[in-house]
Amino acid sequence: MSATISDGSGGGIFTGKRLRWLAAGIVLLNGFFPALWILATAFKSEIELTAKPITWIPHSPTLNNFIAAFRDQPLPHYLLNSAVVALSAMALSLFISALAAYAIARLNLKYRGAILTSIIAVSMFPLVTLMVPLFEIMRGLGLLNSYWALVLPYTVLNLPICTLILVSFFQDIPRDLENAAMIDGCTRLGALWRIVVPLAAPGVFTAGILAFVNAWDEFLLALSFNPAAAYRTLPVGIQMYQGEFSFPWPTISAALVIAMIPVVVVILIFQERVVSGLTSGGVKG
Amino acid sequence: MNDRHTPTPQRSLFDRLADMNETTLAALLLAPAFIFISIIVVYPVATLVWNSFNDVRLLTGAPSRWVGLENYLLLLADAQFWRATKNTMIIVLVTVPGSLVVGLGLALLANMPFKWRGPIRLSLLLPWATPLAFVGLIFAWFFHSEYGVFNDLLRRLGLAPQIWFNSPTLTMMAICIATIWKTSSFMALILLAGLQTIPKSLYEAADVDGASKWRQFTDITLPLLVPSMLVALIFRTLTAIQSFDIPYSMPGPGEETQTLAMYIHMNAVDYLDLGYSSALAVVMFGLSMATTFIYLRYVKADGK
Repeated sequence: MSATISDGSGGGIFTGKRLRWLAAGIVLLNGFFPALWILATAFKSEIELTAKPITWIPHSPTLNNFIAAFRDQPLPHYLLNSAVVALSAMALSLFISALAAYAIARLNLKYRGAILTSIIAVSMFPLVTLMVPLFEIMRGLGLLNSYWALVLPYTVLNLPICTLILVSFFQDIPRDLENAAMIDGCTRLGALWRIVVPLAAPGVFTAGILAFVNAWDEFLLALSFNPAAAYRTLPVGIQMYQGEFSFPWPTISAALVIAMIPVVVVILIFQERVVSGLTSGGVKG
Repeated sequence: MNDRHTPTPQRSLFDRLADMNETTLAALLLAPAFIFISIIVVYPVATLVWNSFNDVRLLTGAPSRWVGLENYLLLLADAQFWRATKNTMIIVLVTVPGSLVVGLGLALLANMPFKWRGPIRLSLLLPWATPLAFVGLIFAWFFHSEYGVFNDLLRRLGLAPQIWFNSPTLTMMAICIATIWKTSSFMALILLAGLQTIPKSLYEAADVDGASKWRQFTDITLPLLVPSMLVALIFRTLTAIQSFDIPYSMPGPGEETQTLAMYIHMNAVDYLDLGYSSALAVVMFGLSMATTFIYLRYVKADGK
């Protein structure tokens, strides 16, 4: 926070305490309003929902919508599916990209740049483009409606960002530490496991969180490959509350509130990691 | 880079693996990544290109048949393809600049010296972390004709409420607003990081020279933000070309507001017409590559 256009002393476009409050208000309202509105809807009764003009804060909050959310769809099962898929993909992509990032950051390697670029190039392929042939392949292998149908693609889709973050963290670890460990009888892989990975833990965390959120949010592949109720992830399952002509909005809102809890917990706990991960990819390019 | 260590006495297979020649070790460590990429990206893309020249319909069960450019010719004459492409282009042209402008605004606001930065940062992270499919549903509810919050605001302002999802134009508007909300906060986070790398001394010097705040913004802030903007814009444009989740969750009348990604999904997953959907996907692939290429040229021209 040392260099900004608006740091008190240097003035700025927005000056003064009142303007600062206004600015904060706009940013907060923009970010939180949709979530708050869904929260309010989730607690409204059918009667209150259809009242005009609409009420902004529920007069007589009810839990019926939450009961309906669990009754109408197997919501816990969707949560479980999302968790299994996102956590497996996260673990797998962290493992694979840690190995690759170590080779790129530390080993005597020709074409280092080209190798990193070709991993990052994966993120340039449109997901929709990959979905069509993957659909045929998964169908041929009988993998539609299985965890593998999502875990495998999500793992690969996360490789670019994980590798990029881990390479920059590995490069920052002093080589001397690793050499010292090897002189003390550690093997190279032992040094990777005992010295480099623990020291790069913040990077591993950052990459892991981004991989988790990416997999948790994905919709197109989940909708295309796993439409069966037993393997639906949350984003797909949430869509199933609507009937052909009916949109039970309070129930959908209650389901959304529950579905958002894991992600909100993740960003509450790891907000600084998430921000540093997102911006390191962006600013360093 | 040459930190070859002296060979230690070999004890086990694991140790021997670890003490091998560095290049071999590097190849072994890189192998899983490249095997996965080959299976999930390279092989499928090759299949995609091959399928686009064939008649592959899983529904009939007939063996695939080489048809040359037929799928592509079909596509050029397909009004639904053109409509989907037009809708996609509208989303790109509206939401990419839209999220840049809104994101820049949010970044400038969030960059003010607040005491509690936590809530501000959370308010930028929440839209980023909300799944696109959820955003689509939330905004579909916002734009509900009877009980939606947008129409309520219009009524309170004395304006006529709209039946948003009965009109393709209004639906596209709603889709773009939802998309801009979802993506501008990511843009703001990137730009905020960029803002914080600009040395404060530049502004102090400008103050001494008596430059107005607006001049400082246009002559210092904006030019120095260009590198962060370009990177964010490449990814924003690529994701806008693939718009699926939000338009899928906010359907307009009939298939009027279908995007290219939705049309590809429909042909592949619903009709199981892999030949035609592959040709469509190749077109989208071309669009993405062209976009990346144009941006990269611009980045090079910019001297970065």
